[in-house]
Amino acid sequence: MKRTLKYIFSFFLIFVGFTLQAQEKKKDSTVTKVERYGVRVGIDAVKLATNFFDKNYKGIEFTGDYRLTKSYYLAAELGNETKTVKDSHLDFTTKGTFLKVGFDYNVYENWTGMRNLVYIGMRYGASTFSQTLNSYTIYNTNQYFGASQPIESGEKFSGLTAQWVEVVGGVKAEVLKNIFVGFSIRLNKLVTNKKPDNFDNLFIPGFNRTYDGDFGAGFNYTISYFIPLYKTVKKTKVVEKPKK
Amino acid sequence: MKKTFLLLLVLIAFSSCEKDDICDANTVTTPRLIIDFYDNLTFGTIPTTKAVTNLGISSVGFSNVILNAVTKIQVPLKVTDDVTAYTFTLNAGATVAPLPQSDQLQFNCTRKNVFISRACGYKTTFTLNSVSLNGTIVTATNTITSTWIQKIQVIQTNINNENETHIKIYF
Repeated sequence: MKRTLKYIFSFFLIFVGFTLQAQEKKKDSTVTKVERYGVRVGIDAVKLATNFFDKNYKGIEFTGDYRLTKSYYLAAELGNETKTVKDSHLDFTTKGTFLKVGFDYNVYENWTGMRNLVYIGMRYGASTFSQTLNSYTIYNTNQYFGASQPIESGEKFSGLTAQWVEVVGGVKAEVLKNIFVGFSIRLNKLVTNKKPDNFDNLFIPGFNRTYDGDFGAGFNYTISYFIPLYKTVKKTKVVEKPKK
Repeated sequence: MKKTFLLLLVLIAFSSCEKDDICDANTVTTPRLIIDFYDNLTFGTIPTTKAVTNLGISSVGFSNVILNAVTKIQVPLKVTDDVTAYTFTLNAGATVAPLPQSDQLQFNCTRKNVFISRACGYKTTFTLNSVSLNGTIVTATNTITSTWIQKIQVIQTNINNENETHIKIYF
């Protein structure tokens, strides 16, 4: 439910951005199309907010992109996460840093003056992290000697690494001048995964929860600021269609 | 574009439904000790299994379990202690002849906790170092005073699964 609300909120904010700018259309015989180029830096609001309501999570993710061409953006995410997972048989803490680098391709045709994005992209992600096994239980189908009690461990597995590729889909909308909000969903596939002895990488910073296979998923909700560096101006004549 | 989005959403929806939170019943978890009962008269020839009449199994401080006409039993080993002791009783609960006869068995193991998966956690595997019958460690040659168990043969010292017999008891 919490997640559903989050999504509804995201959609709402983004559509506010789209509709506001849709009204700024002007009637001119020549259209001056200004394309602004620059760097956009942002932060993942979901990770930031989770720090406050989940005591088992500490983390932050910074995002950045640089417009290369009309539609291509160089994109990256950098973050740090500490997450404690309390499952029925395992209690562990994962701590580490991640970096994702790739590109976004904007498929959205903006009206003049608009700078919104509906994009697809790819990332290559890497993470270095450690895992601490806090406690575990022995899975024993026979209960003659009683149910298994959690065993305190505290064993730390350091120097773990993982690399993966992500397919990204998302939107970014300018809600105030140079302020963008956006969200993206990601499908991840592990490329390398250095697992500890006698344990597994059940959570990887940046990749999120791992499953039996190599796949994982993630999403972020970003608030970012666009720093304009330069612009290109393109003038095109518009032949007005006669009105019916 | 819309299709790509939809595909991503569907994939993510499905990936979170993966049932890896429940430990699959087919997973090899903490094994029990597998004991087969044989007729002592067939020892040294072609061993023939022999059913135990009203076999009582109990460990101090825990309940008494009675199994009738069994040739194969699975007994749990303690996952928190290297030593597991049982009393095996023949004709358990009988008030007329043949009367109950009890022997003390003690299994001395080395334990290892092995990671299985997120859903199952860990399992314990055992290496059986020795078996004692009424306080004396069983070897291939020694004779031990007992009431009904005649010989004990350790077949498999590595107790990793329940697919094979670990111990043979002749009576």
